[in-house]
Amino acid sequence: MSRTNLDEMQVQKRNMVGNQAFMLLFYLLLIDIGLSGFGFRWLQYPMNVFVIMLGCMTYYLTRIIWNNSYVGPRPKNRNENVGGKIALGIGVAAFVAGTVAYLNMDSLKKPISTGDNSGMILFVFSIVLFIVLGIVSLLTKWQARNDE
Amino acid sequence: MSKNLKLKSSRAAKDMSQKDLADATGVTRQTINAIEKGDYNPSIKLCVSICKVLGKTLDQLFWEEDEDE
Repeated sequence: MSRTNLDEMQVQKRNMVGNQAFMLLFYLLLIDIGLSGFGFRWLQYPMNVFVIMLGCMTYYLTRIIWNNSYVGPRPKNRNENVGGKIALGIGVAAFVAGTVAYLNMDSLKKPISTGDNSGMILFVFSIVLFIVLGIVSLLTKWQARNDE
Repeated sequence: MSKNLKLKSSRAAKDMSQKDLADATGVTRQTINAIEKGDYNPSIKLCVSICKVLGKTLDQLFWEEDEDE
């Protein structure tokens, strides 16, 4: 389902967080301009605006995900947690491939040695994926704590 | 806003979970939970939708009697 197809409570919360994020962006930029006027520069010109915008965007995304306003209600016929299962499968495949390539097991003969550290990248990718899946699973359980 | 125990009991009488009711009305489970806890004031459209699913009237589910009446 589309992310914009939120229910009425989700829309209200998203709008509230959006307004807060916009006001935060406005005041931070205003403070930044004021500090520059006093001769205090905490970062060079393009970077200071970029960092402020990045911070506000992070605040906005974190709040709407925390308030369960990022994804709308699921359709009835959709298979539960199919995305999580696909991600877990990719993670396991990447973990196995990364471990084999990274540890350079003697029992396996590598036909091509690329030497580009791809094994390490795959290994780290799979670990990060497992961590993300774990956090998502914990958040799902936490959000369902009041289900009766 | 006080808890909506009438909604909760009507849902339980129909042997429906919050998820079942949420699926039937096209909202998230968290929204139903917030309505039951009194944390969210639903629109009349959603109230009517909930009433239709549970087979109740708006009065039966959402009318709050004043204590001094």
